[in-house]
Amino acid sequence: MYQYDAIDQQLVEERVAQFRDQTRRYLNKELSEQEFLPLRLQNGLYVQRYAPMLRIAIPYGMLSSVQLRKLADISRRYDRAYGHFSTRQNLQLNWPKLEDVPDILAELTEVEMHAVQTSGNCIRNTTTDQYAGVISDEVVDPRPYCELIRQWSTFHPEFAFLPRKFKIAVNATESADRAATQVHDIGLHIKKNDAGEIGFKVIVGGGLGRTPMVGVTISEFVPREDLLTYLDAIIRVYNQQGRRDNKYKARIKILVKALGIEEFRRRVDAEWAHLRGKESTVPMSEFERLASFFTAPAYQTLSDQPTELSSKLAESAGFARWYERNTFEHKQAGYRIVTLTLKKAGQAPGDATADQMEKAADLADRFSFGELRVSHEQNLVLADVRQDQLIELWDAAKEAGFATPTLGLLTDMICCPGGDFCALANAKSIPIAAQIQDTFNDLDYLYDLGNIDLNISGCMNACGHHHVGNIGILGVDKKGEEFYQVSIGGASGHDASIGKILGPSFAQEEISSVIQKLMQVYVDNRSEEERFIDTFRRIGIAAFKEAAYAKTN
Amino acid sequence: MPKLIKDGAIIDNQYEWLQDIDSTTNEKSIVAAQKWLSEKDTIGKVAGIWLDAGDGTDILEGIDLNQFNVIGINFPAFADGRGFSYARLLRERFDYQGEVRALGGFIPDQLGYLLRVGFNSFQFAEDVDLEKALLLHKPFSVAYQGDVADPRPIFLRR
Repeated sequence: MYQYDAIDQQLVEERVAQFRDQTRRYLNKELSEQEFLPLRLQNGLYVQRYAPMLRIAIPYGMLSSVQLRKLADISRRYDRAYGHFSTRQNLQLNWPKLEDVPDILAELTEVEMHAVQTSGNCIRNTTTDQYAGVISDEVVDPRPYCELIRQWSTFHPEFAFLPRKFKIAVNATESADRAATQVHDIGLHIKKNDAGEIGFKVIVGGGLGRTPMVGVTISEFVPREDLLTYLDAIIRVYNQQGRRDNKYKARIKILVKALGIEEFRRRVDAEWAHLRGKESTVPMSEFERLASFFTAPAYQTLSDQPTELSSKLAESAGFARWYERNTFEHKQAGYRIVTLTLKKAGQAPGDATADQMEKAADLADRFSFGELRVSHEQNLVLADVRQDQLIELWDAAKEAGFATPTLGLLTDMICCPGGDFCALANAKSIPIAAQIQDTFNDLDYLYDLGNIDLNISGCMNACGHHHVGNIGILGVDKKGEEFYQVSIGGASGHDASIGKILGPSFAQEEISSVIQKLMQVYVDNRSEEERFIDTFRRIGIAAFKEAAYAKTN
Repeated sequence: MPKLIKDGAIIDNQYEWLQDIDSTTNEKSIVAAQKWLSEKDTIGKVAGIWLDAGDGTDILEGIDLNQFNVIGINFPAFADGRGFSYARLLRERFDYQGEVRALGGFIPDQLGYLLRVGFNSFQFAEDVDLEKALLLHKPFSVAYQGDVADPRPIFLRR
């Protein structure tokens, strides 16, 4: 993991002092509400329905057990002893007191954490694949590049007041895109060119919200040393030319769409021509320095499928299920990647109590070199678990509520906090998730349905990524009542697509039965081994629509 | 005489920011860039020009900017960050050495960033307490990116 040096530490400490002063002046009424707003947002602090919400950055999802224990401790002393892991690798506290926030931030700096730019119209936390560095088919480990981008984007003096928020995600493998890069303002795909040099395919103008769009390729290959000057060029064009008259048309996707990708590329290239090769060109020594923080831990020499694992798989269906769903192939023989799911029935998706955070930290210490990752699907990951310790880990994970063996299945939902907490929401989302958890509680049936992404957002801001769920559920307000619009056919991987709206919205109590009807259409129409999304793409929306709105006889 | 912060000190404002395009100009005027461009052959001596958000800096291509004592950049609202790019471009691309003055709705809490992109004078809204603003007149003591003061990013300085 990246370790702060004196410079990194000084910067976060100065930021805390600055924010402490801003908060003091706000509470003294020296700063108006309007002036304090962007200042607190740039530090992740929203004012929500009942209390402020503080969003803490977990840069590219990497978390040490020490940091996670600190988060648990903070949530216990300053909040209600739980937190919510978001889709963009952040942790949200829902009940802090405004006047406590400077102290919370000061405590975060003790473990090299911060809440810098987790909100506001600036460059947000850079995200990546939760399996970074431990899968065999990635081009290179994306984390050193994420750290490079984190530093470049942190307090960038020119880009703190952009037309709208700006999100960057990085992917480094052809086999999957677990960071949903195509629905980010900039998506970066690490690749090698024919000469074996490392660079980035750059995708621009993706995003969700009111006008969901899949990004388009602006460059097939930007050499890695030119990454920062290229990013500067893109964002400088956007900062000057993006729309500022209407917040719903202010994301970069609208500018790219309005100009067309050729014209946008021409403008970026014209800007880049001035910047390329200048001081921000990254020297090899910096790549080496950053890479040195992400070396392999002290793996033992082991072989795959040790006998205790094979026999447990044969004798315990429960274990076999968990192994199949919640663990993933590791590049190192004898190791496995394990997801600790935060999708237990009865708990809001992505929520973890302080006790759970501490247990997860303990598990990381016992089984995975003291490190964890946070995933886009709102789960925790232990990246380096010995296969001969999986049985022990499974037992411990079950006890802590982390072993619901449904990773990637219908009930592994992405869900925003919704109307229960969020001031922006039109409708609640957590009760919808609970309803679906309750209805789809038969594991055999869930397994039979296979991989399905179901995403729930409480409003058009799309924090629950409903547009790119195979099934998306969006809370809407109809004359003061909460209704839900269902879309179908979205995807967030390399085959990213925006879902199509099924039709008129449904009442809250109808949702589960609608999902059941959609599942039935899938089961009736699928060919063997066909995933839900593939069946949908083959047969189209009509059959699903008909079933969802059919009158019951 | 109204005051402003320039180069870290509170001083008397020597120039007049002419927002009204029809005002008559003199050697103390800061004139809208668009107006100056269309009248440059007849307008005579002015203190400088100012860019509005949306003008961009391309309109200044080919003009000898060092004839101006000051170039102002207007912030229609403090959240409108276009001026940050304009200032940087004036310094880095046009190599403008004179005073770059922030005008309009920017706020004291933005001073750290404004200084880093090349502003050196600040004509605040009238209700701003300049003594208090002066306390915020410094960037963080370390920075990751290069900026107008030092173009080297942290990786060339660590």
